[in-house]
Amino acid sequence: MDELSIEVTGLKKYFVGAKAVDGISFKVKSGSIYGMLGPNGAGKTTTIETLVGLYRRDGGRISVLGYDPEDDLDKIKKLIGVQLQSPSLFPRLTVKEMVNLFSSFYPQPMDPVEVINQVGLDSKENTQIRFLSGGQRHRLAVGLAMVSNGKIMFLDEPTTGLDPKARRQLWDVIKGLKNNGVTVFLTTHYMEEAEKLCDDLMIIDLGKVIVQGSPRELIKEFSQETAIEFSDPGLTDLSRKALEDRQLAARVSYEVKEKRIILYTHNVPFTMKKLLDFGSDHKLAIDDIVVRRASLEDVFLKLTGRGIRE
Amino acid sequence: MRIFINVFLANLKELIRDKTALFWFLAFPIFFVFLFGIVFSGSSELVFNLGIIIEEPSEMTDKIVEAMRAIDSFKVSVARGEGSEEMKALQKGERHIVIKIPAIDYQKMASGQGVEILVYYDASKQQTSQVLMSVVEKMFGEAEHNITGIPEIFKIKQEAIQADKLTDFDYILPGILAMALMQLGLFGSLQFLSLREQKIVRSLGVTPLARSTLLISEITLRLLMALVQTFLIITIARIVFGVTIISNIFVVFAVVIIGSLTFISLGYMLISFVKSNEAGQGIIQIVQFPMMFLSGIFFPPDFMPSYIQAIVRAIPLTYLGDALRQVMIGVYSGRSMLTNIIVLSGWLIVTLIITIKFWRWD
Ligand SMILES: Nc1ncnc2c1ncn2[C@@H]1O[C@H](COP(=O)(O)OP(=O)(O)OP(=O)(O)O)[C@@H](O)[C@H]1O
Ligand SMILES: [Mg+2]
Repeated sequence: MDELSIEVTGLKKYFVGAKAVDGISFKVKSGSIYGMLGPNGAGKTTTIETLVGLYRRDGGRISVLGYDPEDDLDKIKKLIGVQLQSPSLFPRLTVKEMVNLFSSFYPQPMDPVEVINQVGLDSKENTQIRFLSGGQRHRLAVGLAMVSNGKIMFLDEPTTGLDPKARRQLWDVIKGLKNNGVTVFLTTHYMEEAEKLCDDLMIIDLGKVIVQGSPRELIKEFSQETAIEFSDPGLTDLSRKALEDRQLAARVSYEVKEKRIILYTHNVPFTMKKLLDFGSDHKLAIDDIVVRRASLEDVFLKLTGRGIRE
Repeated sequence: MRIFINVFLANLKELIRDKTALFWFLAFPIFFVFLFGIVFSGSSELVFNLGIIIEEPSEMTDKIVEAMRAIDSFKVSVARGEGSEEMKALQKGERHIVIKIPAIDYQKMASGQGVEILVYYDASKQQTSQVLMSVVEKMFGEAEHNITGIPEIFKIKQEAIQADKLTDFDYILPGILAMALMQLGLFGSLQFLSLREQKIVRSLGVTPLARSTLLISEITLRLLMALVQTFLIITIARIVFGVTIISNIFVVFAVVIIGSLTFISLGYMLISFVKSNEAGQGIIQIVQFPMMFLSGIFFPPDFMPSYIQAIVRAIPLTYLGDALRQVMIGVYSGRSMLTNIIVLSGWLIVTLIITIKFWRWD
């Protein structure tokens, strides 16, 4: 049996007019990377902030390294690093001063120079925080979590707003944390990220867990098919029905926002032929066709009926 | 302690790097000192018209008159007996103050009853009368414990004559300082309000830093600022306008710290009741504006209706102004230093209790 860093059962946190977290349970193994996925307003931030003691919960149980944040928050705080989704920092301190300040709060901090280097802010170390770009500020926030040298890192959307290169660098940093035995609990909107990074994950929506498991398991369980994606040629209700009636040997999904239609099939050539026939019958241009392996994105689409970036 | 110092330095850097805030912090007291300094620089040294009524002349009363005449800025006129002409002069505004020394009954004195010296003053000239009263009080103050029939009961102490070079500006200067300290304390609380509103307090809440450390370092910074402003105001007043401060600067600093703490606490109490910075500004303005006018710092409250005078007697700024006047220029208002300190501390304790009860961290 693996050792657990975090154990949560039936967690509830209600706000006036919103059941932000409504009975969530999960377990995070020590030394693993755990991902929490879900659309905007799903309750990710609320979950993290309740775990680190910023909110009092309305129900359920929490154990972080064996402590309950409502009883032993002081002990927990010394053992964890937290990156909030939009932290507010002293605007007129420089990056270096801020990291140094945070490092002084912890019993055994990481070397601030090393941290600044890892999040790629070397060239900005003497810049005041108010002059940082959005992505740089975000990287600093991750650095401030890391400087704690804690046993668990809580990272709320660590890669949001980062350019592709910075994102990939941060993935390496997160994997590096794991190699050093640190447990990482992160949230993300990016399925690709969760697939690449996480050992385990859960997808939540409207404060409830939709599914949990390892990325591999989830994809295997929910999407063994191949996805054929194309841009919506402007289907009328009638033609949409015609498409669904046709024997495509596929399940049809619509991603409304991105105006994409996705067909999930076990038989790519067959479905493809039928699709092209459908196009010529209805005088519709089937454009921009992509054939790909099903991803977590598809799992989410299947489970919720809508895309994650909605 | 190391954490406290680091957080304090962070706050200090925030202040120093905020050029506008820093500018106002430094410019405000300088501006006021110059403004009042220039407005009052035209007025010459004060001349005090002093009347003395002596019921029964003696060697002792001669000494008193002699001592009063020795003070440059006193214009002394003496009347014997009833002295009704001096009282008339006072009513016409020709005297600031009239002292009546009764016939001395040595028998009464021997039984420990003391001599009652009556001081009449012109209430419409509050400033000058206050200065005079304090001189007179000092002169006769010694008498009380020498009371058992020694002829030199009213031994006049030369140091009491400190007041004789006072100008209007000297009188106003402690008021400027008191006002600066009030504003610093009250408006300073907005800094914490914005840390709260900008969610910096919340963001730091996920670290082991105790929030109280953050608050204490903020208060320490305010106190440091108060001392810097005091130093600035006194130095400018001294160099540019030639004001002499009678007490040791550390005595002044001690009063400044007590006064500042009182107003910092009052400021924190006020922001406990509001959420946004704008609301904070509003509530502080509502409190500080009337206080500035009613405290008697710039205008004598004697003319105000009695119910307003009751307010005057309640507000802390009155007492801070008074305390500073005593330690800076040695003018006594009839209120003892102890009373001032007790009232200020009382305000400090009460506001602190309310603050603790209603305080919000986010
Ligand atoms: N302090 C609050 N007061 C009231 N409602 C809140 C508060 N914080 C969050 N909510 C509500 O709770 C729900 C969950 O919000 P939460 O921030 O946890 O979502 P999230 O999954 O982190 O979303 P995102 O991906 O946009 O960051 C939302 O409906 C939000 O409006
Ligand atoms: Mg969020």
